[in-house]
Amino acid sequence: MNRKSVFVILAVLMLLSVGAASAQDVTTVTWWTEDYVDIEALNAQLVEPFNAAHPGIRLEITPQSALDDAMRTAFTAGSAPDILQTPGASFIGEYVNAGLILPLTQSAADLGWQEKLLPWAYESGILNGELYSIPLTFESMILMYNKTLFEEKGWTPPTTYAELEAVAAAAQAEGINPFGYGNSGFQPANEHVVGVYLNNYAGADNVYAALTGEKSWTDPVFAEAIELLRSHMADVNWFNDSLETWFTYGWNEQWTALSTRESAMMIIGTWGFRGADEFFGETTDEWDWTPIPPFSENLPEYNYMLATGSTLSVNGQSANTDAAIAVLDFLFSDPARVLEIASGYNYGEFVVPLKFTADDFPEGTDERIVRFYADFGAVTDQGRVGYTTWTFWPADSDVQLWQEIENVWYGEMTVDTYLANHQATWDEARADGAVPPIPAR
Amino acid sequence: MLSSRSTATAQKNTSTAFGQYSFWATLGRWSFILPLLILNLIIVIIPSVFGLLLAFTDWSGYGPINIIGFENFNELFQDGVFFKSLTNNLIWTALFLTIPIAVGLLGAYMLSGIKRGQIFFRVAYFLPYVFASVVNTQIWRQILHPRVGIGPILADYGITFLDFPIFGTRETALFGVAFVDGWHFWGFLVILYLSAMTAVDVELYEVARLDGASRFQQFRFVTLPSIRPTLVFTILMITIWSSLVFDYVFIMTGGGPANSSEVMGTYLYQNAFQRFDVGYAASIGVMMSIWVMLAVAGFIYLRRRGWEI
Repeated sequence: MNRKSVFVILAVLMLLSVGAASAQDVTTVTWWTEDYVDIEALNAQLVEPFNAAHPGIRLEITPQSALDDAMRTAFTAGSAPDILQTPGASFIGEYVNAGLILPLTQSAADLGWQEKLLPWAYESGILNGELYSIPLTFESMILMYNKTLFEEKGWTPPTTYAELEAVAAAAQAEGINPFGYGNSGFQPANEHVVGVYLNNYAGADNVYAALTGEKSWTDPVFAEAIELLRSHMADVNWFNDSLETWFTYGWNEQWTALSTRESAMMIIGTWGFRGADEFFGETTDEWDWTPIPPFSENLPEYNYMLATGSTLSVNGQSANTDAAIAVLDFLFSDPARVLEIASGYNYGEFVVPLKFTADDFPEGTDERIVRFYADFGAVTDQGRVGYTTWTFWPADSDVQLWQEIENVWYGEMTVDTYLANHQATWDEARADGAVPPIPAR
Repeated sequence: MLSSRSTATAQKNTSTAFGQYSFWATLGRWSFILPLLILNLIIVIIPSVFGLLLAFTDWSGYGPINIIGFENFNELFQDGVFFKSLTNNLIWTALFLTIPIAVGLLGAYMLSGIKRGQIFFRVAYFLPYVFASVVNTQIWRQILHPRVGIGPILADYGITFLDFPIFGTRETALFGVAFVDGWHFWGFLVILYLSAMTAVDVELYEVARLDGASRFQQFRFVTLPSIRPTLVFTILMITIWSSLVFDYVFIMTGGGPANSSEVMGTYLYQNAFQRFDVGYAASIGVMMSIWVMLAVAGFIYLRRRGWEI
């Protein structure tokens, strides 16, 4: 081996060692997300810009099917990702009780997250005085309707319960179902309507009182709300054409029904924006939305039910907590980027609850969607907010709520027993410290 | 005397050598099975024991585990939904021990008489068994859909018995799911029974025919006794599998409406992964294991009674 060869080998070894040292200096942050995301788009819109802006950190987002199950297993094995994405705030209590989540209060104060996020959304992550999670997306319940059908029939979007009853009656007289919805493939869809009836009949003040333990769920006002839902489901068939079809209608069926005039309206979350364009795009009809009117004369104004979808936290067992916090801060500091990502889901997912302005929306955004976010901001700023069950109910109470309601609909369980069972689950959750954070009203 | 001492020494040496030989031989034999035993210990025995112990705790799936004795079982024995699930598992077992077995036997017996094209039917019958449950359930969801399925189509011709939401009606949901699961399963039984039937000595059939036996009598007195080990084996397996049924129910009805199609598997899942009550879910798992143990015990009992199974 001549001197030249030795020199080349040494040079290669030096380069390799430098490369290895560089690789060691880069901190990899892992984040598992739901498997429905468009990972290529997310890489282009979030991962690559973040990595470019942070040479010492490498963000890796990996879609996982059955995300929560995968995380549970990974925690047991000690290999959970650095950034934790849970299906909702009601899951946070379990993680916190197990000491698996890093408190973010100090980081949030240092980075000014409270000023960037909508106040209720920030508070929804506070448990026992510490911030543990930030919503990855927020939602609310709205009333979507077939605009073309309404215009042809001369119906106006209901703003009161009396108007809602009138439209429902007019639709049924024409052989059209007032609402199309169901739980096929997703039994928890029951809670969408239960929550709406509790908030829109009993009122958000009463719901808040029950959430905070000042009122019992056995109060007559809640019994009346559930009885109203039961009668709409089982007696007057407002949903589809029978109670039985509730169990056979899923995403495709309910959207097909609305877009083909089999049904006139749909009570659904804002994730419905995702399906509206897809299904109405196959017809000549148009869709629109309106706030869900109060179901009681005692409630003069509509409000928006608060809901967080998935939440983001930092794994308390991670060795890369600072890098993980940098990722969250990158996401929370750029409303335009968030809306660009959310536009890929027609603003039905990845809508981080930041303080958006109209200018943040990409040019050409659907006017109906911009209208929702503008109105949501204005109305919730006035404190006119309701509470969704999957965000503010403990896990066990939530399951009882959407599962046993079927027995009520079928007359196998009285409303009083249903609510007494519900109160019992709350009593247990309070004793166990499993009640999710409730933002002050 | 010398001879006697030599013999004793030789016996001692032989004994020692034999003993050493026996030790090494035993070790050698164990070394073949040891990897499998270790694997079995890690992936079967330890998780099983852990699952059993969890039934006596209030573990949520995360964090600390507190022992609460028999509290989960006390609650379980007062839980109406659990007993509804157990009843549905029993109905499921009864359905699968009768209809798929009867149809499977009939199909296999008819196929055994076919010389040309048998392979085609074998493949056709077996095909649903190899499809994923998600695929099968989606196919039948569409076929039996109350809006676009076969029910409304037949109703246009005056045939209305299928024109209702089969999976949305409490009285029919469980049977609807069992039908779909049975549809995918019976072809598997056909193949098993057909394999057993081809091993039956043809002379037995010839003797039966000479004695004037009809086709049914040949089936009753020749075929059935000859394939009894296979038949009993499938009965045992169906009994065990019926306690574990989960996927078809979970996908098609989720246990609803109003728990009408709830089975132990779906109820266990709900408690473990939706209510975060892993301890309670484990106690349901223990009840499922007792079901399986009873089935296996019955099988062993029959073997000891001299049944050729």
